[in-house]
Amino acid sequence: MSVGTPKSLPTSGQKSINDISHPLSYEEGVLTPSPELPNTSSIGEKDLSLPNGTPVDTSSPASSSSLLNRLQLDDDLDGETRDLFVTVDDPKKHVSTMETYITYRVNTKTTRAEFDLPEYSVRRRYQDFDWLRNKLEETQPTHLIPPLPEKFVVKGVVDRFSEEFVETRRKALDKFLKRIADHPVLSFNDHFNVFLSAKDLSSYKKQGLALLSKMGESVKYVTGGYKLRCRPVEFAAMGEYLDTFVLKLGTIDRIAQRIIKEQAEYLVELREYGPIYLSWANAEDDELQKPLEGVAGCVSSCSTALEELTEDMSEDFLPVLREYVLYIESMKNVLKKRDQVQAEYEAKLEAAALKREERQAVPTDVEKCQDRVECFNADLKADWDRWQNNKRQDFRQLLIGMADKNIQYYEKCLASWESIIPLLQDKPDAKGESHS
Amino acid sequence: MRRRLSQVQQTHDTTIYVSEPRMADSGSEEAAVIENPEVAPEEVQQDIGGTGDGSSLLKKMEISVSEAEKRTGKNTMNMQETYTVYLIETRSVEALNEGQSPAPDTLWRRYSEFELLRNYLLVTYSYIVVPPLPEKRAEFVWHKLSADNMDPDFVERRRIGLENFLLRISAHSVLSKDNIFYLFLTQENGWKDVVYDTGFQAKADSRLKALNATFRVKNPEKRFTELKHYSDELQSVISHLLRVRARVADRLYGVYKVHGNYGRVFSEWSAIEKEMGDGLQSAGHHMDAYAASVDDILEEEEHYADQLKEYLFYSEALRTVCRKHELLQYELEVTALDLVSKKQQREELATGTVRTFSLKGMTSKLFGQETPEQREAKLKVLEEQITEGEEFVKSKTLECEEYVQNSWIDIERFKEQKNQDLKEALISYAVMQISMCKKGIQVWTNAKECFSKM
Repeated sequence: MSVGTPKSLPTSGQKSINDISHPLSYEEGVLTPSPELPNTSSIGEKDLSLPNGTPVDTSSPASSSSLLNRLQLDDDLDGETRDLFVTVDDPKKHVSTMETYITYRVNTKTTRAEFDLPEYSVRRRYQDFDWLRNKLEETQPTHLIPPLPEKFVVKGVVDRFSEEFVETRRKALDKFLKRIADHPVLSFNDHFNVFLSAKDLSSYKKQGLALLSKMGESVKYVTGGYKLRCRPVEFAAMGEYLDTFVLKLGTIDRIAQRIIKEQAEYLVELREYGPIYLSWANAEDDELQKPLEGVAGCVSSCSTALEELTEDMSEDFLPVLREYVLYIESMKNVLKKRDQVQAEYEAKLEAAALKREERQAVPTDVEKCQDRVECFNADLKADWDRWQNNKRQDFRQLLIGMADKNIQYYEKCLASWESIIPLLQDKPDAKGESHS
Repeated sequence: MRRRLSQVQQTHDTTIYVSEPRMADSGSEEAAVIENPEVAPEEVQQDIGGTGDGSSLLKKMEISVSEAEKRTGKNTMNMQETYTVYLIETRSVEALNEGQSPAPDTLWRRYSEFELLRNYLLVTYSYIVVPPLPEKRAEFVWHKLSADNMDPDFVERRRIGLENFLLRISAHSVLSKDNIFYLFLTQENGWKDVVYDTGFQAKADSRLKALNATFRVKNPEKRFTELKHYSDELQSVISHLLRVRARVADRLYGVYKVHGNYGRVFSEWSAIEKEMGDGLQSAGHHMDAYAASVDDILEEEEHYADQLKEYLFYSEALRTVCRKHELLQYELEVTALDLVSKKQQREELATGTVRTFSLKGMTSKLFGQETPEQREAKLKVLEEQITEGEEFVKSKTLECEEYVQNSWIDIERFKEQKNQDLKEALISYAVMQISMCKKGIQVWTNAKECFSKM
C-alpha cells in the first residue's frame, strides 16, 4: 500500500472509462510544481503514488504532448494515469417558497488517497459550481481555471427551466468538472475535493471566506499603471493569439447562428412546400397521384432530417464555441495576473537596485518575487500547452461532428429520394421488385 | 392514343438534342418529305395530310430554335425598341436519313410572332388544348434570378420553351398539319399578312361573351364542368407550388452561401494555428466549393420550374376549351329557348288564349282584337321563324355534339401527355435532389477528412 493512504481502494479507474463521454478531453499530466505561494501550501501534496502502486507520471511531458501518442494510446494512457472520474447528470428542479432552482448530480469515482471513499454522489446547484470556481481562482492564481457556463442567458428570453437550457448547462458543467479533474494541479485542490465529496457544502462556504482570499487581492492591486519593462515574447504572443482567436470564434459563432437561422427559415418553407404536392395529388387520377404523394413524402422526411441537423448544431456546436470564448477570457485573466506579478517584481528590483547603490544586501522579498514570477511563468506555460492541446482536440472533434451531422442529413435525404424512384417510374414490375 | 403518345414522348426527348441539329442523324423513315418550300401551301398541306392519321410533321422535318439574338429597331409607333429574335431551323429528315447533312433552312421570329401563331391556332382549333408559350415575363423567380426580359438566362430558357412549343405543335396530329404553322416555319416574309388574311380575328369570341356564357348555361355538361374545375385546381396548385418553390430556392441559396463564410474565417484562423493550420485551410476550400455548388443546383432546378410552368399555362388552355364549350352550349340553349317561346306564341295565336301574362296580351285586350288577316300573316311569319329556329337548333346541337366529341378526343390525348410529362418531371426532380445530396455528402466528406488531419 502506498504511503499515506489509510485504506486500500479498489481500482475503479479502469472500470469507469466507459462512463467518460468526452474521450478527446483526456489530459495527461504535465505536472508543474505548485508555486510556493502563501495560500497554496495546504494542497497539492507531492505524494502522487496511486493506491495500486502505479506512480503518477510527473515528469514526462514529451510522452503526452505528441498527438500521435494521444490518439493511439488513449485507452492505455487512461488506464495508467486517470484516477479521478467525474460526471454531471440527472438535473432536478427544486421549488421552495423562496426560490426555484436546479440541482445536478455530481458523481465521482476515484482511487486517489485524498478521498475517503472510492465513490461519491452529491447534488450541487449552479452557485456551488460558481463557489468552486471562485475558490480555485483564489487558491490557484497561477493556473488557468476552466470557465463555467454563463450565469445569465443571453438576452434573458430563454426559459431557465426549459429542458434544452438545463441540458445545455448540464453538459457545460460536466465539461467544467472534467477539465478540472483532468488537470494535474487543480484536481488536487482541497476545494475541489470538498465539492465532490461533501454532503453539505454550506459550512465550507462560510468558513472559506475568511481564510482563503488573501492571495487574489494581494496580486490584484499591486500595480495600477505600472508598465512592464519587457513582457517575455512568448507571453506577448499568447495575448496576441488569444485576441485573434476570440475574433475568429466570434465570426464562426455568428456564421453558425446565421446558418441555423437560414435553415430554420428553409424548414418553414419546406413544411409548406411538401403538402402542396399532397393537395395536388388529390386533384389527380391514380396515375399521377402516387408519384405526387411520393414527392410529398420525400420533402417531409427531408424536413425532419433538416430539423434534426439544425437542432444538433444549436445544441452541440454553439455551446462549445461559447465555452471557448469564456475559456479565452480566463486565459487572458491569467496572463494579466502574470503581468502583475512580473510588474511587482520589477518594481521591487528597481527599488533594490537603488538601495544597492547604498551598498545594502538584496532584500529577500525581491528574490521571493522573482521565484513567484518564475513559478507563474512555468505554470502558465504548462497550462497554455495543455489548453492548446485541448483546444485542438475539441475543435477537431467539433468540426468533424459538424461534417458528420451534415453527411447524415444528406444521407437521409438521399435514401428518401432514391426510395421513390421506382414509384415514380411506375412500372408495375418495378413496384413488385421494390416490395420484395 | 398509345401511338400518338409515344410521339409526344419522342418530341420531348428530342427537345434536348434537337437544339443541336447536326447531332441528330438516325432513323429510317421513308415518309413523304417537305423538301420544296416553293410548293404552294395547299399542296403541301395535302401532302402532309395524305400520309395518314398518326403521322406528324416531325417525321418529315427537324425543327429547332437554335439561337436568340438581340435586335434594335423601330416599332409601329416609330419608337426605338430592343427585342429578341429567335432563329428557327428546319431540315428535311429524309435528307438526313439518306446520309446527307443539308444546311438547314433558317428564319428569325420574334416572340410576338409566336404569340400570333398561337392566337391563330387557338381560334382556329378551339376544340384543341393548344400548347402554351413560355412565359412572357419571368414569374415565380427567386431573388437571385433576374426578372429582366433581356437577361441571357431568361432568353435561353425562353429559347428552349419556344422550341418545345414548336415541337409540341409539330407532334400534334391536327395542329401539325396546319398551313399557317408550316408557313411560320418556312416563310419569313409576309407571314403575318397571310395570318391576318385568314380572318381568324373575326372568329375570335370575345372574352366577355364567353364569361357571360359561364354564368348563364342552364344544363352544363358534367364532364366539362369537372374538367373546368380540374383546370382551376391545377392552376391554383401549380402556382402555389411555384411560389413556394421560389421561396424554398431562396432559403436553400441562403443556407449554402452562408457556409461560404466558413471558407474565409477558416482560412484566416489557419494563419494563427500551427498543427491545425493546414487542415483548416483546406477545409475552408471545401466550404467555398459547397457554397458555390448551389448555383448549379438551382440553375438546374429552374428547368423543373419551367416544366411546371408549362402545365400552369396548359391549365389556361384547358379552360379555354371548356369556355368554348360553354359558349356553344349557351348559344344552343338560347336558340332552343327562343324556339320554345316562338312555339308558344304560335299556340296562343292559334287558340286565342293567353297563358301567361304578357305585354302583347295586354295591348290586344286594351286595343281590341286583330283582324283575322293580320293574325294569319303573323302566324305565317311565326311558322317560318319556327322552321328556321328548328334548323338552327339542329345545327347548333350538331355543332355542340361535334365539339364535345372532338374536344374530348384531344382532352384525352392531353391527359395522357400530361401524366407522362409530369411523371417525368417528377423523376427528373428526384434525380436532381439525389445528385444534390450526393454532392453534399462528397463535400462534407472531403471537409471531414481535412478536419480529421487537424
